[in-house]
Amino acid sequence: MLCASRSFSYLGIRTYQLRADLLSRSIKLSASDTMAFRHKNTRRIEGLDSNVWVEFTKVAADPSIVNLGQGLPDISPPSYVKEELANVAAVDRLNQYTRGFGHPLLVKALSQVYERVCGRKIDPLTDILVTVGGYGSLFSTIQALIEEGDEVIIIEPFYDCYEPMVKMAGAKPVFIPLRNKNDGNSASSADWVLDPAELAKKFNSKTKAIILNTPHNPIGKVFTREELQVIADLCIKHDTLCISDEVYEWLVYKGKKHIKIATLPGMWERTITIGSAGKTYSVTGWKLGWSIGPQNLIKHLQVVHQNTLYTCPTPLQEALARAFWIDYKRMDDPDCYFYSLSRELESKRDRMAQLLQEVGLKPVIPDGGYFMIADVSTLHVDLSDEDGNQPYDYKFVRWMIKSKKLSAIPLSAFCGPETKGQFEKYIRFCFIKEDSTLDAAEVILKNWTKQKN
Amino acid sequence: MLRRAGPSLRHFLLERNCSAGYSSCSSEAKMSRPVQARRLEGVDKNIWVEFVKLAATYSTVNLGQGFPDFPPPDFLKEEFTRAFSGEKHMLHQYTRAFGHPPLVKILAQLFGKLLGRDLDPMTNVMVTVGAYQALFCCFQAFVDEGDEVIIIEPFFDCYEPMVKMAGGTPVFIPLRPKAPKDGKLMSSADWKLDPAELASKFSERTKAIVLNSPNNPLGKVFSREELELIADLCVKHDVLCISDEVYEWLVYDGKEHVRIASLRGMWDRTVSIGSAGKTFSVTGWKVGWTVGPNRLLQHIRTVHQNSVYHCATAAQEVVAQGFQREFEHYGKPDSYFVQMPKEMQQKRDQLVQSLVAVGMKPIVPEGTYFLVADISEFKSDVPDVPNSDEPYDSRFAKWMVKNKGLAAIPLSAFYCGPHKNNYNSFIRFCFAKEEATLKAADDILQKWKLEKTTP
Repeated sequence: MLCASRSFSYLGIRTYQLRADLLSRSIKLSASDTMAFRHKNTRRIEGLDSNVWVEFTKVAADPSIVNLGQGLPDISPPSYVKEELANVAAVDRLNQYTRGFGHPLLVKALSQVYERVCGRKIDPLTDILVTVGGYGSLFSTIQALIEEGDEVIIIEPFYDCYEPMVKMAGAKPVFIPLRNKNDGNSASSADWVLDPAELAKKFNSKTKAIILNTPHNPIGKVFTREELQVIADLCIKHDTLCISDEVYEWLVYKGKKHIKIATLPGMWERTITIGSAGKTYSVTGWKLGWSIGPQNLIKHLQVVHQNTLYTCPTPLQEALARAFWIDYKRMDDPDCYFYSLSRELESKRDRMAQLLQEVGLKPVIPDGGYFMIADVSTLHVDLSDEDGNQPYDYKFVRWMIKSKKLSAIPLSAFCGPETKGQFEKYIRFCFIKEDSTLDAAEVILKNWTKQKN
Repeated sequence: MLRRAGPSLRHFLLERNCSAGYSSCSSEAKMSRPVQARRLEGVDKNIWVEFVKLAATYSTVNLGQGFPDFPPPDFLKEEFTRAFSGEKHMLHQYTRAFGHPPLVKILAQLFGKLLGRDLDPMTNVMVTVGAYQALFCCFQAFVDEGDEVIIIEPFFDCYEPMVKMAGGTPVFIPLRPKAPKDGKLMSSADWKLDPAELASKFSERTKAIVLNSPNNPLGKVFSREELELIADLCVKHDVLCISDEVYEWLVYDGKEHVRIASLRGMWDRTVSIGSAGKTFSVTGWKVGWTVGPNRLLQHIRTVHQNSVYHCATAAQEVVAQGFQREFEHYGKPDSYFVQMPKEMQQKRDQLVQSLVAVGMKPIVPEGTYFLVADISEFKSDVPDVPNSDEPYDSRFAKWMVKNKGLAAIPLSAFYCGPHKNNYNSFIRFCFAKEEATLKAADDILQKWKLEKTTP
């Protein structure tokens, strides 16, 4: 009972009652102060601890690897965006709290931009919530509107956070895959489509929402009006919500048009549309996003927000607002960053596609976004030696990182359990990279081709 | 189709957004069923939404919401400009999700030194969007339905809704004022927990206790003995301690801020929370952190990676530089952590004087930049309304900002519903304000006093 007597002397002038209690519990006290601990994590986060990024973002730290994995631009944001941020620290009040639901200058700018895009009046105070990235918007939306007993339809492949967020809210994810309509010969993201009959079957009385992502990560699909109408019709028929993740809304190529499902008849009242400064201005590290929708939905997101982090950083919101005003004023001008970025990225997209084709990979040319998936099975790389239980694409990416010093992300990270087999021959490349990065990738891919021949 | 029947049914009919020139007035399908999740029940009200608006509309002197109206330290502003005028454009991209490496490294160094422990920056520290998000992560990680969480009143108001949103049951215990010695002003030290009462609040279902020291709103700095009392009960009942220490550097009169995680048996069951906003007078940067054992932080990381994932890189980079500078100047006279409390203590004393001079009775805070004062002498200005739903101090504070232009926060904001009328003649002032602001407040108070005494 050495530890007990140590406790005793430490107690000093403690009350007798506590001394007695501690004595009886003293078995639990050990010399190193660690205790048998009955407290575990809560049920809501059970099984949500692992994450594809934990492994694959470590790669970014290794400078010898050409990183086309995580969606991280290595191009510079536009100069005026950087300047605005450098300027804001000089204004003292911008270092203190701003309005919780969104800095006034920013929500005003957002309402102007999106009023123009949507053709509808948007109240900056009631129809908009500023969040910590598009990620934070997804979280606020799901926490506000989804709960135990609900089902949420998720289109596969999906940005990986949708599934754990839905589960953390206690709801059940219901998956539906995009299917390659040309079966084996998909050259374009447009070839990946939902089967309307299959989709209709996924809706039932428990369906609370469907999560839509357009332009789509990872495939780069830009849903057409007809495709959105199919989804909209089902939402209206079953009285469900639509959570529309449109963070890549400005990154649309080749005469494709980004259409907001919230603008379809019957949809404004049931849709939360999510946007991101990180993707709009190539400033992923600013972690600012927004949710836009009708007041009677947004107000619930605001309640979540006021009980989770309350406000977003002021200087970043101010700088973002200033940048938005600059581009709002030139929305009729092709030099507006909303348009010029996608032009810049289109040539990178085409270059990436060509490089991948030359090495024998089969890329799926995206209509939008800054990711491109490629079928790697065509290379017939034998990975049976590698860690057996993992899907092929995980093994392929690890092998490629090790032997080719080139990184990507395995596509099965973006699938539910049933479809991993369908998607495990694809990996995802990110092409929002400087020319020098793509040059380095080109060297690797050309060498790879040589080694094969 | 309606999914939840019963008296709590929430139909809502949508307002139609009919504005000229926009095609929104059509026969749009309406959501006919209740859409919000049940976890939002009872957590929708928020005092700040109302009081911040009132201050913005009416106040000429805002001593309400807790933020400084003076600039951050020069060395920090310089770092900010330096970081973003250069060519380091990768500072605009994602950093490490659980905390920007330079920041977690310096936090591990500093808090390791303060706690007398070797801290691993990767596993014992996690950066959050302000201390507010750190609190959220703690409750989400550890509070399940049916769990009880002990909250000491008065409390920073978010603890209660956060516990509820996590499905937990808040269990309240008040700090009770003891009359000060004759002739002395009441001090925050005179507000104490009753040990037997505290012990009685611990049950089989108690998952955690939230400790806030220095305490907002009272400014109480829990003594070592008081913390040991809490620690003993945590150990006895195997309870977690969520220790909100955001005001750790604002401690006056030579008092010591004791970190409960450094007490025996506590490291393994405590998550300590800090804030760059309070540390460096940059509340708008929203950088906070949790420090604790990996066994606890791993679950906080899980919540974080499924809610916001990354915190903004910019602010983390600069805060890291700020901490580096402070680490090097630690204990020296030019350390911000030394200068700041000195300046604040003077401001505290200035406000105390102003209040005493006009008949408001301040409770002199041992820490934080808040001060609570008894406004009983001024009650005649705001008549009591019997059977009113609103606590007296709330009506008083609203009247005061509208009629005197002086913004403060009613103490009832920091009590749970049933206890809001327990101490309803107190209001909270924030004194993290420039000389000119405190002088202007004094002018208002003096004028007010004069109006009362002049027939």
